[in-house]
Amino acid sequence: MSEQLSADIVVIGSGIVGSLAARRLALQGASVLILEAGPRLDRGRVVAAFRNSPIKGNWMSPYPPSPWAPHPIYVPKDNGYLKQAGPYPYPAEYIRAVGGTTWHWAAMAWRLVPNDVRIKSLYGVGVDWPMSYEELDPWYQEAEELIGVAGAPDTGSPRNQPFPMEPVAEPWSMRRFRERLAPAYAVVANTVARNSRSYGGRPACVGNNSCQPICPVNAQYLGINAVEAAEVAGAKVVPNAVVYRIEHDAKGRIAAVHYYDPDKGTHRVTGKTFILAANGIESPKLLLLSASDKYPNGLANSSDMVGRHLMDHPSTSITFYADEELWLGRGPQSPSSINTLRDGAFRSEHAPYRLDFTNISQVLSVTQDLIKEGVYGTEFDKQLRWRAAHQVSVKNVLEVLPDPDNRITLSSEKDAMGIPKPEAHYSIGDYTRRAAEVSKADFARIAELMGGTGLRYSAEGNFANNQHITGTMSMGNDPKSSVVDGFGRTHDHENLFICSTGVMPTAATMNSTLTGIALALRTAGHILPKPANAHAAVSNAEREASLS
Amino acid sequence: MKRMTGRPVPLLALICVFAGLYAGTAAATDSANTELLQRGQYLATAGDCVACHTAPGGKPFAGGLPVPTPIGTIIATNITPSKTAGIGNYTEQQFSDALRRGIRADGKRLYPAMPYTAYAQISDDDVQALYAWFMHGVSPVDTAPTPTRLPFPFNIRLSMAAWNLLFLDSKPFTPDPGKSAEWNRGAYLVRGLEHCSTCHTPRNLLMAEQSSHALAGGEVGTWHAPNITSDANSGIGGWSASDLVAYMKLGHAAGRAQAAGPMAEAVDNSLQHLTATDLQAIATYLKTVPAQHDPADTRAVDTWGAASNELDSLRGVALPSDPNKMSGAQLYDAYCASCHQDSGQGSFDGGLPSLFHNTATGRTHTNNLVMVILDGIDWPADGSGVHMPGFAQTLSDQQVATLGSYLLKHYGNPAAVISADQVKSLRAGGAPSHLVLLARLALIVVLLVLVAIIAMFMRRRRREAIQAEHD
Amino acid sequence: MTNELEDVMASHDVPADPSRRRLLAGLLTAYTASLIPWALAQPAPHADRGAFTALSAILVGRQALDATQTARLYDALVADDAHFPADVQTLLTLINQRQIDPQQLQNVLDTEHSPLAKLPRKIVGAWYLGVVGSDEAARCIVYETALNAVVVADVLKPPTYAYGTYASWANKPI
Repeated sequence: MSEQLSADIVVIGSGIVGSLAARRLALQGASVLILEAGPRLDRGRVVAAFRNSPIKGNWMSPYPPSPWAPHPIYVPKDNGYLKQAGPYPYPAEYIRAVGGTTWHWAAMAWRLVPNDVRIKSLYGVGVDWPMSYEELDPWYQEAEELIGVAGAPDTGSPRNQPFPMEPVAEPWSMRRFRERLAPAYAVVANTVARNSRSYGGRPACVGNNSCQPICPVNAQYLGINAVEAAEVAGAKVVPNAVVYRIEHDAKGRIAAVHYYDPDKGTHRVTGKTFILAANGIESPKLLLLSASDKYPNGLANSSDMVGRHLMDHPSTSITFYADEELWLGRGPQSPSSINTLRDGAFRSEHAPYRLDFTNISQVLSVTQDLIKEGVYGTEFDKQLRWRAAHQVSVKNVLEVLPDPDNRITLSSEKDAMGIPKPEAHYSIGDYTRRAAEVSKADFARIAELMGGTGLRYSAEGNFANNQHITGTMSMGNDPKSSVVDGFGRTHDHENLFICSTGVMPTAATMNSTLTGIALALRTAGHILPKPANAHAAVSNAEREASLS
Repeated sequence: MKRMTGRPVPLLALICVFAGLYAGTAAATDSANTELLQRGQYLATAGDCVACHTAPGGKPFAGGLPVPTPIGTIIATNITPSKTAGIGNYTEQQFSDALRRGIRADGKRLYPAMPYTAYAQISDDDVQALYAWFMHGVSPVDTAPTPTRLPFPFNIRLSMAAWNLLFLDSKPFTPDPGKSAEWNRGAYLVRGLEHCSTCHTPRNLLMAEQSSHALAGGEVGTWHAPNITSDANSGIGGWSASDLVAYMKLGHAAGRAQAAGPMAEAVDNSLQHLTATDLQAIATYLKTVPAQHDPADTRAVDTWGAASNELDSLRGVALPSDPNKMSGAQLYDAYCASCHQDSGQGSFDGGLPSLFHNTATGRTHTNNLVMVILDGIDWPADGSGVHMPGFAQTLSDQQVATLGSYLLKHYGNPAAVISADQVKSLRAGGAPSHLVLLARLALIVVLLVLVAIIAMFMRRRRREAIQAEHD
Repeated sequence: MTNELEDVMASHDVPADPSRRRLLAGLLTAYTASLIPWALAQPAPHADRGAFTALSAILVGRQALDATQTARLYDALVADDAHFPADVQTLLTLINQRQIDPQQLQNVLDTEHSPLAKLPRKIVGAWYLGVVGSDEAARCIVYETALNAVVVADVLKPPTYAYGTYASWANKPI
């Protein structure tokens, strides 16, 4: 046992979502302690590790798991951390380290479209959110100003205030897509937490084309930036603190959390308010682990909804050779997409989707293809250049509906610390599969407009996963069918809040991070409301900081 | 370095204010006044008044910026036309005295953090234009910053009178008839408003510029203001006039040097706003400044180094777990190569600079290299320009020293060195100054001398008196 | 890493070591030598390294290979598989004797279920990806100067290296 830790607010998890909630609360004067299971990483060493990686196509490779806080690894072989109960595999990837999984995100910082929160009322599918899009708007804005979002106005998500930054300069390849797909499709700049100018003390993008697994220059906002901002605001971070139990008192209030250090020494941390922010898999795992006599199904689980409604974004794709040289790999990895299919009456029949163009350098993948094909001699260079210049790829990002049978449970297997591993039960429903089928026509049309040859659709029935873990601790007004209320407070424990993309009741068609942050800021604002004029003052200060 | 977020009030707004004040005067006078104001604003920009007289995030010219000097921290004053907190009550003569002689309206002395020794060169006409602009172009701000409090003996402002007697040449600039008009304009700007010597000329023990080493390079806090004389190796002798103009306009001269630290601020606040004609004039003059050679510079400081790397020592080799044991090549790989490329060659467009053929690595004065690694570069203030991240929070003293030495060995002057102690000292804000102690000791010496002089004087008086008795 | 490729073709005036020449000459007919006319002059410390250089040159279609990189890849390949030198000799001899076109090589080896069928991919992977070994034994020996980076170096930087200043990617690439 070491010293007794205590704080007004104890946050479990130091990802971008938890850290920005922590920052806001610390600025309000609360003492804030952030417990992180994984170690503290250094950007430069991650960059060096990536350059030294023999499996550069795998973005987890520069992030080896620590023995005390493992995370799922699949390449070169499955480390067996996230157990798969099927029927469809759910190979989620996430990082347990200070800063969390956004160490290697693509910085896509999308808002929902307004109808996303009312699909039950409008289309008779899924569930409605316990709030309107308009209620979220100011929290989105606060999130966007904090993390520095650059975006175009015409993506289907209305806003009251302008984006903090102009869209990031369009790569040549995306310009050609935009020009050649018009008017059939409107290709627009993605909404991204990537600097199009110096902002927040961070530089503009210089096109390293390694947004995933690591932005080497700090032009893209990462969870570690949020951690540092929380620390500047006064929050304290304890790395390598593997929380294994949340303790409640007789009244059902949370009294403390318990963690192991890497040597399995135990520590108890007390606090007044607790925020669980350990992502959509580790958070429900922890709630289930904390079962007690009073709460035999786990904490916050009187509804039996903890871990259920697991959602993500499956993708199918097409890869082909355009009839002109586009040379993907110049500029950021995810610059542009088609957003007109994110909503429509069709949502009563099949999932909506975004169509997303990659700008990831094709050199690695075409080299691997050529080696696989056994191309040798002078032909290799010729083919490599031609393919690297012409190969392009488009994927859909499909909505999945909340299904209680898709869920995270505790596995009977344990990790090195003796903590049960999470187990995923997953399937991809017909609603989503129908949309994948529909989108094939878009793929074909896009390939045709680009003069495409060598069309390669992703294998029938194969869906790539996008690591947008949502739904496992859904918010709702009814304590019988949801885990938290509209402000992220657990229905069962007055002083336990959840800040996570896991509280999103539906997944919509956009990367979930920005919505997770906006909801977390709203939760923080609910825990400690700001005085009427303080909000603007802080934002102004940050705008000043961003200019300096 | 402190960064300036305050900007001068837009000219149009100033003209409106001015026009309002002078409504009803003849159109010809209006245009003359407008011209005077415009000139005043331009001259104030050239003088970079805003750099010191505006606090970060503060109102323009309202003062408040703490300027660290070897004799203590001097708080820049409010020079807006506020009648209560600024210089609103100054007559043009009082304004001129403050600017060119270092004497405030109340008769007290300014500290030479205010570069009045340079401003002494400003012409009467230009003082008039500056006065007009400060009185009518600048918005008054009625808040006064905290007054400067220096340690003894510098808290006695009168001590500056003696200093001025020794070091102030109060004659305005006199054109040299033997030189071109362009040269004379350049000399006027360099010696006067741009006050280049304030930083670039080394100072003596009493912090006065050593005129015999004009522009040979000086220390500005933790930064080194390099030699900008015409010496081919140590200075800018090898630069073309257009290199110099590009540097002043853009903050970098391709394949030679980039502005960082206080120089980036000078470019941001002042130099980039000058007319092409004035920049050309400055370049013309600088090219004729007598060469000051540093024997350590055995070749031009912007010609050292070549593209090279130690990639073979990196790939397939795991990093040591102790960050202080990382090699220079490993540190370069982790923290620098992403922008400056694997062999230090920079980006194809030159925007991410090459580290060889770069004064940043070519000088034996290595403080600037350390400072740039620690603090980075970020200018101009509107975020539209150059931004190199700083590594003060990321790298240890040992890591900066190892990395810096790698940079010097591969890309710069291999005779130059960076030590962990140097990094530690610069990180802490530079070596402490002994000037306060020196001045106190000097004061004792002065007192003893004074006593001696008085004694001699008394003896002489007595002798004269005795002599008179004998006459 | 030396930055310039040692283009032996460009240095005919440098006399080759006759003993090394003999070492390789025994392995090569006019056919393979015509694929690698420089190989006889390649200063190889021993026949195994020379054979690797020669086979590499055939497989990656080059007249010149960086000597340091050749040595580093070779050492790593040998460390990964002790049979590697012998396999290289065998495959080079096979290509030599049967005058197999590199473009047909994999097909020939696969059709004949040759035990050497995996060897060309190993060598080409080392040169183009800079990676030696497979699965958990895989190591990245070369990144920036792997041939797949070199071939496109006029247009693309290896990922993690800045393309250029902000927006420099908006222009037409070539």
